[in-house]
Amino acid sequence: MTIASFHSPSRRSAIGRLASLRVQPTIVLSIAIVALMIAWSITPGLFTNHDPINGVPAHKLLAPSAENWFGTDHLGRDLYTRVVYGTSSSVSSALIAVVIGVVAGGLIGLLAGFFGGWVDIVFARMVDVLLAIPKFLLAVIVVTAIGFDTTNAAIATGVSAVGLFARVMRSEVIKTRQATFVESSFLLGGSRWHILWRHVFPNASRSVLPLAVLQFGDSILVIAGLAFLGYGDPPPASDWGLLISIGKDYLKWPWLVYAPAFVTIATVLSVNRISRWLRKTD
Amino acid sequence: MSKAYLNYAAKRLIQAAVVILLAYVFTFVVVSILPGDPITNVLNNPQNGFTPDEINEIITAQGLDKPIPVQLWTALSGFLTGDLGLSMRTNRPVATLIAEVLPSTLVLASAGLVVALLLAAVIAYGTQFLPKRFGQGLLRGFPSLFLSVPNFVIGLVLIHLFGFQLGIFRVIEPNSFWATLFAAVALGIPISAQIAEVLIANLDHESGQEYAAVARGRGLGQMRLFTKHLLKPSSLPVITVIALTIGELLGGSLITETVFGRTGLGSLVQRSVSSQDLPVLQAVVSLAAVVFVLVNLIADLAYPLLDPRVKLIGPSARRPATADEGFTDLSKAVTP
Repeated sequence: MTIASFHSPSRRSAIGRLASLRVQPTIVLSIAIVALMIAWSITPGLFTNHDPINGVPAHKLLAPSAENWFGTDHLGRDLYTRVVYGTSSSVSSALIAVVIGVVAGGLIGLLAGFFGGWVDIVFARMVDVLLAIPKFLLAVIVVTAIGFDTTNAAIATGVSAVGLFARVMRSEVIKTRQATFVESSFLLGGSRWHILWRHVFPNASRSVLPLAVLQFGDSILVIAGLAFLGYGDPPPASDWGLLISIGKDYLKWPWLVYAPAFVTIATVLSVNRISRWLRKTD
Repeated sequence: MSKAYLNYAAKRLIQAAVVILLAYVFTFVVVSILPGDPITNVLNNPQNGFTPDEINEIITAQGLDKPIPVQLWTALSGFLTGDLGLSMRTNRPVATLIAEVLPSTLVLASAGLVVALLLAAVIAYGTQFLPKRFGQGLLRGFPSLFLSVPNFVIGLVLIHLFGFQLGIFRVIEPNSFWATLFAAVALGIPISAQIAEVLIANLDHESGQEYAAVARGRGLGQMRLFTKHLLKPSSLPVITVIALTIGELLGGSLITETVFGRTGLGSLVQRSVSSQDLPVLQAVVSLAAVVFVLVNLIADLAYPLLDPRVKLIGPSARRPATADEGFTDLSKAVTP
C-alpha cells in the first residue's frame, strides 16, 4: 500500500508522505536486522576473523573497543564473535520450535475444527491440557524427559506451542467453514477432503502466518530461557541464552550480559514488528 | 441465576475436572514413558551413590517394578486423595517439600502480578491522556518492547543497576524487601505487556463507540468521559487476561527465582530437574495445571455475573471472550 502510494504521482500532502515514510523505516530496519541474523547464522566466518572457541588469555575481560566490539569474556574470547557464531543455533532452534508448533498444532486444529463432533471434543480437551500447563514449565519437563541439548530444547519449546496453534487454527477453520463459498462447494458436490484441502486449509492458514512469526520471536526467548538455565548445549557452545547465563557470573563486566541481551532483544523486537505488520497488511 | 448460567457453570466445572485429570496423566506420560528413562539414570548414576540394595528398595517403594498403567493408577489415586508421593532425591514427602517453598513463590508471584497490573494501568490509561504525537506512540510501543525482553535479562539488569551500582539491595539477601520488589518487577514486566495490550485495545474500542461520541457531544471532557464511561467496560475483560497470565507468573518465577537466588517452587523445580526427581516434577507441574484451571474456572464463572452484556446461549455456551482465540491474539479476542 504505502510503497504503491509512494511511487504514485498523486498529489499527496507532504505530511501524508512523511507519515508513510515514518511507518516504513521500522519495518525496513526490522527486516534488515532479521536478514543480518540469517546471514550471521549461515556464514558467521564472513563477519568476524576471531576464533569463537579459543581465546587469548592475556586479553580477557576487555571492555568493548574497535577491535572487540562487544568486549571479551573471561577466557579472552571475542564476545561479538561468540554472539555471531551462536546465532545459527539460536535462530535455527527457534525455527524448529515454530515448525513443530505450526505443523502439529495446525493439523490438530484443522481436523478438530473441520470434523467437529467427537474429533473436536477429544482434540479440544488435549489442547486444554497443553494450555493448562504453564508454557515454560511444560518446555522444562519435556526437555528433562528427552535430554539436555539445544535441539531437544527446541523440540520442547515447539511442544509447548502446539496448544496455541491448535486453538487458533480451530477457530479459523470454524469461521471459514461457515463461509458461503464453502457451503456452495458442498452443494456442488465437492468431497470433504477436497473442500478441506482446497478451500478451508488455505483460507484458515492465512491468519496463522503472523502468529507463526510472532511465535518465532517468542521461541527465541523460551529457548534462551532454557539455555540460560543450562538445559541447552553446554559451553563452548555460544547460544545467546547461554552467553547471558555465563555473563551473569561476571556482572562487574556488564557487557558480557548486555551485548548478547541486546542482540536477542533486537532480533525478537524486529520479528514481532514484522508479525504486526503482516497482520495489518493481511 | 438463570438456567442458562447454571448449565454453563456445570459444563465448565466438569470440563475443568476433566482437564485436571488429563493434565496429570499427560505429565505422567511425559516424565515416565519418553525415551531416556530418567529413573534408571538417577538410580544408576554413580554420583548419587546408591548401593544396589538401596536401589531395589527405592524401586519397590516407588513402585517402579510394576507396569506403567499400574504405576499411573497408583499415582493418580494418590494425587486425588492429596498424597503426592515421596521425593526420589531426598526420600521425603513431596507435599512437605512443596509446602516449604510455596509461601516464597506465592509472595513473589502476587507481588509480580501487582507490579504487572500497576504498570499496565499506567501505560494503558496513559495512552488516553497523552497527546497523540508525543507520548502516546511511545507508550503504545511499550508492551511490544516488554514482550521482546527475556525476563532473566530484566532481572540481571535490575541486579546490575540497583544491586551493584546503586547498592539498594544486596544480592546475598534475596528475601529482603528490596530484592523481592525488584524480583517482582522482573517477573511483572513481561506480564504487564499482555494486560496493557488488552486494556489499550479495549479503551480504543470503547472510545470509538457511539455512546462515547454522544458523551463527547454533550460536552464531556476526556477525563470525565474516561472515568464515567470508558474505565469500567474496558477494564472488565482484564479479569480473563489475568487468569490466563497465571501460568506465566508460575513459569516466569522459575527463571526469576534462579536469577535472584530465591528459594521457591522454581528453585525446587530446578533442583528436581538436575537430579531428575520425577515425583517432585510430576507434582509441581500438575499443581501448576490445577491452579491455572481453577483460576480460569473462577474467572469464567464470574465474568457473566459481572458483565450483563455477555449472553450465554444455550448449554453450548462457552467462555464469551477468549474461548476460541489464541493467547497472543488476546487484544482482539477479549474485546467484547
